[in-house]
Amino acid sequence: MALLPLIDDDVARALDDLPTHVNELGYDPWGFSPSYARVGYTLAKRFVHSYFRPDVDGIRNVPAGRVLLIANHSGQIPLDGVVIAVTCLLEAHPPRLVRPMVERWFPRVPFVNEVISRGGATLGAPINCRNLLNDEQAILVFPEGVKGSGKVWSQRYKLQGFGRGFMRLALQTNTPIVPIGVVGGEESLISLHNWKGMAKLLGMPYLPIPALLPVLGPLAFLPLPVKFFLRFGEPMTFEGRHDDDDAGIDAKVQKVTAAIDGLIADGRRARTSLF
Amino acid sequence: MITEDARACILVTGIAGGLAQEVARKLRIAGHEVIGVDYRPLPVLAKDLEGMTVFRASYNKTAIEDVFRGRKIKAVLHLGREGNLSKRMGMRFDLNVLGSQKIMNLCVDHGVKVLVVLSTFHIYGAHPHNHIPISEDDPIQAGYDFPEIADAIQLDSMASTWVYKHPEVRTVVLRPTNVVGPTIHNSISTFLRMKRVPYLAGFNPMVQFIHEEDLATAVVRAMDGNARGVFNVGGPAVLPWRVALELADARVFPVPSSLASFYIRTFSAFPEYLINFYKYPCVIGDDAFRKAFDWAPHVPIDETLASTVADARRRQRPEEPRA
Repeated sequence: MALLPLIDDDVARALDDLPTHVNELGYDPWGFSPSYARVGYTLAKRFVHSYFRPDVDGIRNVPAGRVLLIANHSGQIPLDGVVIAVTCLLEAHPPRLVRPMVERWFPRVPFVNEVISRGGATLGAPINCRNLLNDEQAILVFPEGVKGSGKVWSQRYKLQGFGRGFMRLALQTNTPIVPIGVVGGEESLISLHNWKGMAKLLGMPYLPIPALLPVLGPLAFLPLPVKFFLRFGEPMTFEGRHDDDDAGIDAKVQKVTAAIDGLIADGRRARTSLF
Repeated sequence: MITEDARACILVTGIAGGLAQEVARKLRIAGHEVIGVDYRPLPVLAKDLEGMTVFRASYNKTAIEDVFRGRKIKAVLHLGREGNLSKRMGMRFDLNVLGSQKIMNLCVDHGVKVLVVLSTFHIYGAHPHNHIPISEDDPIQAGYDFPEIADAIQLDSMASTWVYKHPEVRTVVLRPTNVVGPTIHNSISTFLRMKRVPYLAGFNPMVQFIHEEDLATAVVRAMDGNARGVFNVGGPAVLPWRVALELADARVFPVPSSLASFYIRTFSAFPEYLINFYKYPCVIGDDAFRKAFDWAPHVPIDETLASTVADARRRQRPEEPRA
């Protein structure tokens, strides 16, 4: 590959250390390709480390083997997933390839669909999750979905209601959950309003009106270089029936949201400046 | 396992096609007597198939009954599904639904012990929300976007019901992925053989292919085995569509998907719905078939694709040296 000399050594080493799950052509069934990931993660590392400069705590809590990484979602453009993925690949022991579960509209977006699948993202379908966990992989889920990433400023750092799917999955596959609190995403692109009508017209889940639009014009849709704080909580294990009634599942989900709320508070306390 | 009456023969439908002939070849090598039938004009048979009895008969007409009469048939391999979606809907319905039903009824009436029906993975449909892999228990969704595929769905569902409705006939329904190979002339093989192959800009879904030789072995294993039911049959590897085009030595050019849809809808006989198979994944899992029939594909993916297009590329680029 022409870009080979530019590949970051740490990225190459971490990807080489991952267990091999690809076929003879270098792809897994979901489209992940280590050779493309080398390029993608090299670019992502340079961007994330120089632009968002994440302050990471608790990365040792990410275990080897199957794990569900559950985080709060924010920032309009879901770059929080990229920050978590880069951190888990380069700072976790052993290095973990995070498989983000993406929204249903991503596969329809030209070019983006290919970039994210070569990097390891897959459609957030329960069967994809189950198959990947049974393959001892690490899955990143934002249970708030687009309600989380599309939050407006007045809703910042308020969890938008978690779905139950991730908990049923954890119970079904006997998978530990590592809660993650992400701080910084909310301020990276401050949205004052969600223009729902236009979003629907464009086939997008939401369309933010950035606070800096009058000042920066279209550039306001780009994220600001705020400093990110990632707080990884201790693994949580749950027991019970995966097909329990909603009330039983909600009680367990509540424990995860409480843990994430605590981690967000830790991150906000550690922050002395937005940048 | 077929044990009784060694003199009984095996009926293979779709014998004018490359896959059915490959199956017949394997069966004859194994010592079986094979007869073939097709609604299409019968081709001149290759030397190793000379002497095989072949009939021309529409599957939904009384002529097909004559094929069953007066001979003992121990197995029917119904490979003659009309899969060309550019053919008239009425014709496909007559052959695939009414014809298949007639053949299945004849199997019961004539004491046939084994029936293998060739369906297709197209019935699952290629959707942006498809998970990976798709199993035999997943819903059949193709009709949602493309009602014209109803005949293939109905054939599959009829045969699947047959599995349990008629336990006296061990029925195996196969849903193979893209079937390719040097003697296959379906939509995907024809597409791969084009001089310049378009791809949809911004889309590069994961795809699978199975070589005719591997599928022929799968059909024979299904006939010889003990299991019954509905099974996906995948290929040797899952790969991005554009990597497949590279392996097929295709000269490619990008087109916006909206332009491709417009062109196909307006000027081409190629079914518009199949565009989705070049945008979204429809990757099937075949663990159940591999386990039940101790089968695995043997032709590597590069050879699978290269052999499909070899003759076409030789004609298109006679100046290029070939291995």
